[in-house]
Amino acid sequence: MSKPPVGFVPPWASAVALIGLLLGLAVATDLVGSVVLTRFATRLYIDVILVLGLQIFMGNTNILWFPHIGFMGIGAYASAIFSMAPLQKTLALPELYPFLAELHLPFVPALLAGALVAAAVAAAIGLPLMRLSDFPAVITGFAVLVIIHVVLTHWEAVTNGPQTLFGIDDYTGLWDAAAWACLFVAVALLFKESKVGLQLRASRDDLVSAGAIGVNVVAVRWTAFVLSAFVAGIGGGLFAHFITSFTPKAFFLTETFVVLAMLVIGGPATVTGAVVGVIAVTIAYQSLRWTENALNAAQIFERNVAGLSDVALAIGLVLVLVLRPAGLFEWHELAPPGLRRLLSWRRGAEG
Amino acid sequence: MLELKDVHAQYGAIVALRGVSIAVAEGELVALIGANGAGKTTTLATVAGVLRPRSGAIRFRGADIAGLAPEAIVRRGIAMVPEDREIFPALTVEQNLRLGAFIRRDRAEYARDLDATWARFPILRERALQPAGTLSGGEQQQLAIARALMSHPRLLILDEPSLGLAPKLVDQVYGLIKKLHAGGMTILLVEQNVTQALRVADRVYLMRMGRVEAEGTPEYLRRRVDVEGAYFGKATANGGPPPAGHGGAS
Amino acid sequence: MIQALAFVVDVLSLGSLYALMALGLVLVYGILRLVNFAYGELIMIAGYTLYLLNGSPVPWLVMAACAVVAAVLASVLTERVAFRPVREKSLTAMLITSFAVSTLFQNAALLFISPRARVVPLPDLFSESLVVGGLFVPIRDLIAVAVTLIMLAAFTVLLNRTVLGIALRAAADNFRMTRMLGVPANLIISVAFAISGLLAGTVALFWLGRTASVTPGIGLEPLIVAFVATVLGGLNSLVGAVVGGYALALITVGINTFLPQVLVDYRQAFAFGLVILILLFRPEGLVWTGRHSRT
Repeated sequence: MSKPPVGFVPPWASAVALIGLLLGLAVATDLVGSVVLTRFATRLYIDVILVLGLQIFMGNTNILWFPHIGFMGIGAYASAIFSMAPLQKTLALPELYPFLAELHLPFVPALLAGALVAAAVAAAIGLPLMRLSDFPAVITGFAVLVIIHVVLTHWEAVTNGPQTLFGIDDYTGLWDAAAWACLFVAVALLFKESKVGLQLRASRDDLVSAGAIGVNVVAVRWTAFVLSAFVAGIGGGLFAHFITSFTPKAFFLTETFVVLAMLVIGGPATVTGAVVGVIAVTIAYQSLRWTENALNAAQIFERNVAGLSDVALAIGLVLVLVLRPAGLFEWHELAPPGLRRLLSWRRGAEG
Repeated sequence: MLELKDVHAQYGAIVALRGVSIAVAEGELVALIGANGAGKTTTLATVAGVLRPRSGAIRFRGADIAGLAPEAIVRRGIAMVPEDREIFPALTVEQNLRLGAFIRRDRAEYARDLDATWARFPILRERALQPAGTLSGGEQQQLAIARALMSHPRLLILDEPSLGLAPKLVDQVYGLIKKLHAGGMTILLVEQNVTQALRVADRVYLMRMGRVEAEGTPEYLRRRVDVEGAYFGKATANGGPPPAGHGGAS
Repeated sequence: MIQALAFVVDVLSLGSLYALMALGLVLVYGILRLVNFAYGELIMIAGYTLYLLNGSPVPWLVMAACAVVAAVLASVLTERVAFRPVREKSLTAMLITSFAVSTLFQNAALLFISPRARVVPLPDLFSESLVVGGLFVPIRDLIAVAVTLIMLAAFTVLLNRTVLGIALRAAADNFRMTRMLGVPANLIISVAFAISGLLAGTVALFWLGRTASVTPGIGLEPLIVAFVATVLGGLNSLVGAVVGGYALALITVGINTFLPQVLVDYRQAFAFGLVILILLFRPEGLVWTGRHSRT
């Protein structure tokens, strides 16, 4: 295991660097003006949000956390129901409960309300779960994911069951997604260095000692869990209004795997890892997808090629785990160029 | 037979051994004593292959064994009885013993070894088909030692054999240790129960904070440890009365 | 009366499959503390092997043997290539790796074969039924129970009478101490994975018999079954896994038989809710196997 860096970059500096990076990408995309690229970038920002949410919990607790995408699903369906026009809802969800059918919120309130629902569910079920560690935490997390999936698949009145929920307005634009992504970068960094975040990371490294110095591990974990569920809910809501129709399958194992891979490859311990992981994996994954489509269009093989990108992602993930298990960014958060040198120079001058 | 030279070892970021040098000659019974956390068990762990030392040399019968896997260490002829004995509670006494003989190939030899074990440990023979978890503490200790002997070790390592045992049982165990030693077995012993350790050992190392602080014959250590009377008092907390006055005669 | 008999047959045949499935999972978990997310995919691999051999002139038993061998090979290879390098790193790394391997296998099937279901050859015997007192008992179910009993018996002998078996049990109990007695770690782990593959391969033959087809995603349900049965029986117990399998079958068939359809859809949710409750309040499992609970 490598040693932590000597110089400490204050979180606001990292936030500036990362937000600068994200906004830069948005500006570039906007300038290019291609519809395909814009959709690509929007999806990227949504993934950034999802992975940031996962980082908030997994990065600070070191627990392999499965249910995250389930909360994305809750946020997606809830925000969709809040934002769809009543007329649309009678078409798409004929059996929806009246008080929900009448609701019609604008985009941002619907997003927030959806995320609050996700956070509320997390808050309600979280307390007993946070007592667990290691393997039981992993398994119960997986169980929660399955339970959410089953409920979403069968609560037909609210979700249209296993069938597609359609007719959601496409409110999510490039700058909506980018703005939320930047916001959550700041939130994740602030959380990491906040009192709660520090307590979490202390208990990540040594559970017993942390308890001995008075850290209420359960409460601290619960806070991270609820926050991460909220972020996932926003991600889900943005996703819902981006893709405009979806089924519960979008919020199960495939998505979980991709988000997990992005975080692990980038480095779960750092926010930079989360962001860079998304960018790196998205580029690789989409390139392979593009190759698949090109191969199919050119009819090189008899059948349609599918699954290449997932195979490559899986192999890449295993390679990272073997060669660089802490991911690309183990300790360092990104800093604006020159800042680190400036800081150590100043420290050197003082010393 | 066994030589540790300037061994450094750590658990993650926590440094446990800061240059430990120890020697055990063939046929000797050497004891490592010291307070909790002094590094005694860690020293054993480096020999047993459970912990890879950061630096330093560990040689056994001339060959370098530092960093070898535990499976390989046993094949070289070193058998260890860990703290807490770690017998397999769900397996029978006989099955535990069978595993102890895992590295031996000869069936006939195993049968003979088993008979020898029953002769030496009659209580184990009685309980041969019982799950080892149903044995009492003292019986489990016997089983752990018997199991270690099944591999025909040249060096037997015992980590805190008196731990958790009533004084009478401790005497029993040490009686056994003495007998094994008299029979020619080379033994390395870690103990917090200083009285017993000093009674049976040929030579003693006193460890503190990851280093060897003193070494010598039991008499020398008794005199020397006497000076630090407070430590001595702490060390006998496990059993054995503190010696009368400062003479240290036992 | 017929209903009761049908119920019993269903529970026994399903329980047999569940028990073998759970056993394979617990064996690896006991030694490595690893929950192998790629375990269900072994059934998928066995299925696709059968599919690929379809139409070849060999008798079905040979094809079935090949399918089982394929599962064993896949299991051992996975351990050698993916898990062993990561073993030293951390448990989390191993878990993620198993998840990655699972995804890899599923998508490899997607890529190289097809996303659509593929027909799996089955012996004619599997479609026939015995008539017992007015009840149609599928022969396939009877064979499943018989095969399971034979395997469990063989397994018991292995674990109690052979040195390897004793070493396996010891390794599942206290891996470090087992190594300190000279048992080679890599050998034990490979054997555990091989047996795990054997069990999954066997289950596959009967599991596929229900739908006579294989899809890339077929491994998820058996995996979930193995999870739940294992937790029911207490994560550390081989016997518990077997009993947990039958118990889960009892619960499943019970839910299917007695509960209204609405609730039946949610049965996976119930099962996992039960898993959570057990892990929270009674991690040694619901099944009393007469042993002291050791952590």
